[in-house]
Amino acid sequence: MTPSLPDILMGQVVALSAPLPPEAAGDYAAGRAAILAMLAMFAAQEAERGFAARLWENGALRVLFGRAAQAFDGELDGRLAAAAAGADDDFSLSALDRTNADLRRLLIALHEAAEQRGDATLDRRILALYQAMAKARRLDLPPTP
Amino acid sequence: MTLAERLAAYLTRTRGEPTFVENLARISGGASRETYRFDAVTQGGRQGLILRRDPPGSLIETDRRLEFLAIRSFVGKGVAAPEAIVLEEDGAELERPFFIMGRVDGGTAASPFAVDPYGRHAKAVGERFFSILGGIAAEPLKGLPITQAAPRPHPEDCWRRELDYWSGVALTDEQHPQPIVRAAIRRLRRKPPPPPARIAVVHGDYRSGNFLHDGAGAILAVLDWEMAHLGDPLEDVAWAMDPLWSHPGDGRISGMIPRDEGLATWRRASGLTIDEGALAWWSLFASVKAQAIWISSAKAWRDGGFAEPILALSGWYTARRQDEILAERLLAMDTA
Repeated sequence: MTPSLPDILMGQVVALSAPLPPEAAGDYAAGRAAILAMLAMFAAQEAERGFAARLWENGALRVLFGRAAQAFDGELDGRLAAAAAGADDDFSLSALDRTNADLRRLLIALHEAAEQRGDATLDRRILALYQAMAKARRLDLPPTP
Repeated sequence: MTLAERLAAYLTRTRGEPTFVENLARISGGASRETYRFDAVTQGGRQGLILRRDPPGSLIETDRRLEFLAIRSFVGKGVAAPEAIVLEEDGAELERPFFIMGRVDGGTAASPFAVDPYGRHAKAVGERFFSILGGIAAEPLKGLPITQAAPRPHPEDCWRRELDYWSGVALTDEQHPQPIVRAAIRRLRRKPPPPPARIAVVHGDYRSGNFLHDGAGAILAVLDWEMAHLGDPLEDVAWAMDPLWSHPGDGRISGMIPRDEGLATWRRASGLTIDEGALAWWSLFASVKAQAIWISSAKAWRDGGFAEPILALSGWYTARRQDEILAERLLAMDTA
């Protein structure tokens, strides 16, 4: 997902290194510092859960594609089967994201195909997966006064 | 020259009298323009003002003239619009386009992250919030300044125009494939809403956090008119109620009042009825539009060299929360 954790951390460096003009001191600077603190909190969550979320999502998509491949003909069938046979072997965030981008593009194509053929069962399965994907990647905001 | 010196030079030239700028301070205020508060001081006295200046890069491409005219459309009409004073589209001494508004002192904008932002005045704020929104919808268009800049859509085209624009933003700025918002866009196209009973001014970003309240139940000013346009007034109602602005499980719209009470207040103030099917369409659209903004925010943050942390927060935490909302809505619509 974008931004990536390295992006966020690089952004912290940029934001904390650059001096603010005099007119941006005061409330604006305080608000900006609060945002940077919040980003650091979310970065901690992403460091803890982000790898597992990507691995889970990539695996869940491959399972979906494996089941769906039997129901489709032609080019999509072959792409689904090939993707279903894949595996994650590079566990860096950037590699997991690259693979995830390919899998998500195929998911979009599969969902469009399911809608076009009126396959309510597959449509619902994909919608349920969307919910699980969003939940797996959530960032938790603690209550603030 | 500092910004304060350039602003003083501009005011001195245009007012024809020496004008000094004091207490210039940047504040948070809308994501598409830099916002500053300042005092303009002349021999005749001191005036509290707000400067809204285009940034070098922007979260949302919006028309500053349209925003200026939208604010001017509602001054003195009971919807708490601040005074719109001057617009400089070529930037003059400030190098970038800007406009100046009257400043409303003594109010505060709620944090979008606060759990109970209005405390024991929540009901009063909520009723006023939906009453003002109904007032915006009820305002006759004839002669309104905003009609000089905002095209008036045919009622049948309101949904398509908005969906075309915001889906275009999402798909153009997408940096990682976004299957959830794409599914929502397709769903919206398959089942469009009925046309509105009438075309009205749509604020475009009417929500908790975009108004000043006095801490005692009164709303002092409605802010951030930068996405104002003419269209279906239900668009604003749906946007104001997007779950993003509320804490999960709270049961109130943005910590104010329950949904049904808000809608009843809006109906009374607008004189309009609510088609629940149309409202459901605009509610899903609101989440698509919001996600388009967050996707665009992530791109702007990266393109801008990671300089503005608010863009990172919008493009990361907020985008992920919006995905949860979209996924829940899609599944609920499928079940319904």
